[in-house]
Amino acid sequence: MSSRAATKAQAREKVAAMRAEQARKDRRRRVFLAGGAVVVVIAVVVALVVAKAAGVGSGSGSHVTAKGHENETTASAAVFKDVTTVPASVFDTIGPGSAAATPRKITAPALTFAGKPQVLYIGAEYCPYCAAQRWALAVALSRFGTFDKLGATHSSTTDVYPDTQTLSFHDSSFTSQYLSFTGVETTDPDQKPLDSPSSADQKTYSTYNTEKYVGSPGIPFLDIGGHYVSAGTFVDPKLLAGKSREQIAAALSKPGSPIAKSVDGSANVITAAICDVTKGAPVKVCTGRGVGASFAAFGKSTQ
Amino acid sequence: MTGATADARSGRALAGTPARQPAWLRWGSLVVCVLGLAASAYLTFEHYSSSTSLACPDTGAINCLKVTTSSYSELLGLPVALLGLLFYVGMTALCSPPAWSASNPWVGRVRLLGAVSGVVLVVYLVWAELFRIDAICLWCTAVHVLTVVLFGLLVVGAALQEA
Repeated sequence: MSSRAATKAQAREKVAAMRAEQARKDRRRRVFLAGGAVVVVIAVVVALVVAKAAGVGSGSGSHVTAKGHENETTASAAVFKDVTTVPASVFDTIGPGSAAATPRKITAPALTFAGKPQVLYIGAEYCPYCAAQRWALAVALSRFGTFDKLGATHSSTTDVYPDTQTLSFHDSSFTSQYLSFTGVETTDPDQKPLDSPSSADQKTYSTYNTEKYVGSPGIPFLDIGGHYVSAGTFVDPKLLAGKSREQIAAALSKPGSPIAKSVDGSANVITAAICDVTKGAPVKVCTGRGVGASFAAFGKSTQ
Repeated sequence: MTGATADARSGRALAGTPARQPAWLRWGSLVVCVLGLAASAYLTFEHYSSSTSLACPDTGAINCLKVTTSSYSELLGLPVALLGLLFYVGMTALCSPPAWSASNPWVGRVRLLGAVSGVVLVVYLVWAELFRIDAICLWCTAVHVLTVVLFGLLVVGAALQEA
């Protein structure tokens, strides 16, 4: 009897030992697999870095660009329409919106061209802040006159807010009975020379794009009739990141859209400054509720 | 030796009680999560405020602003920084002491699934930085490294756990 019990105990111990051994093997296998998974992840990341260092994928397709816009030079009909026909009710609803800055009122001789108050813009296509500001300026100017066309471009792909989709004033012309507009784009997105300002415009730029008048000199530079100046953008470029021109333009008529609040709000601010130099003309635009609200907003920042 | 004693020595969970995880796993994962939470919270703050104040050098290859303002800074309409913050909020909860003590096996499964999805997103974002944006964001890289470390900890921890 005791011999049978001893045999059973031995068998149980043997089975237990086998189970323990199996458990150890299973554990080793799982740890090996887990370690392998970690090694695979690290290897993939290292392979990406090595491939980059070796120049793989550094061709023309390596930049962040919005599809379908690379070779366009003129804004599509839909974009042109959306930019130039923002409803008055949208401007009235938005007011100054989320305009990040306003022009500064200065004391200087009136800036005129062809007998009318001149709005001078000097920027560059590579500049992401110009890319943002151009939307608001084009919207504002469209309330005073007519563009024959608007260019289509994007900011530099190697700068901050890369490849911001925008309009261009290069090769566009503007007619208005109230004002003259001069839009100078000094370079293209790759910083190759484009437009050169006239000597008069260059003098205006050199004289007023200084700390004394604008605070932080730079582009985009805007002079509205010699009475208001600004350097920098009123529109937050971050809002435009990853958006196509069509998406940005379509958002301009939606008062609830953050893009509309920023672009149309900035357009209202610019409009208010222009209305000041055109002495309230045209009345329909300059007496708009949104323009009135914007006067109050930028009055606080004038010098 | 009783079966229960053997189970306890091998770390196997007794019926209705969770397996006791090693301290290095419990505390290590929590520390990594808290660091990831801090870094992703900073990136989210910068996203929703002025990104121009990002504390990051601009030396060409390293350019946080270029990365955080690129079209790859959003995924499915949501800022990647916010996704990172939500990820680390969730993972911090899943790696907290109460979660490690939870008896529900789904807590461990969701934790592991979270780590795997996090590392997949990291590989995608590293690819985007290197091959699409042409710039590296140091803060993002810190979050990526922490996510891979968290993945390693949790995967090895799960392997060490007895079935």
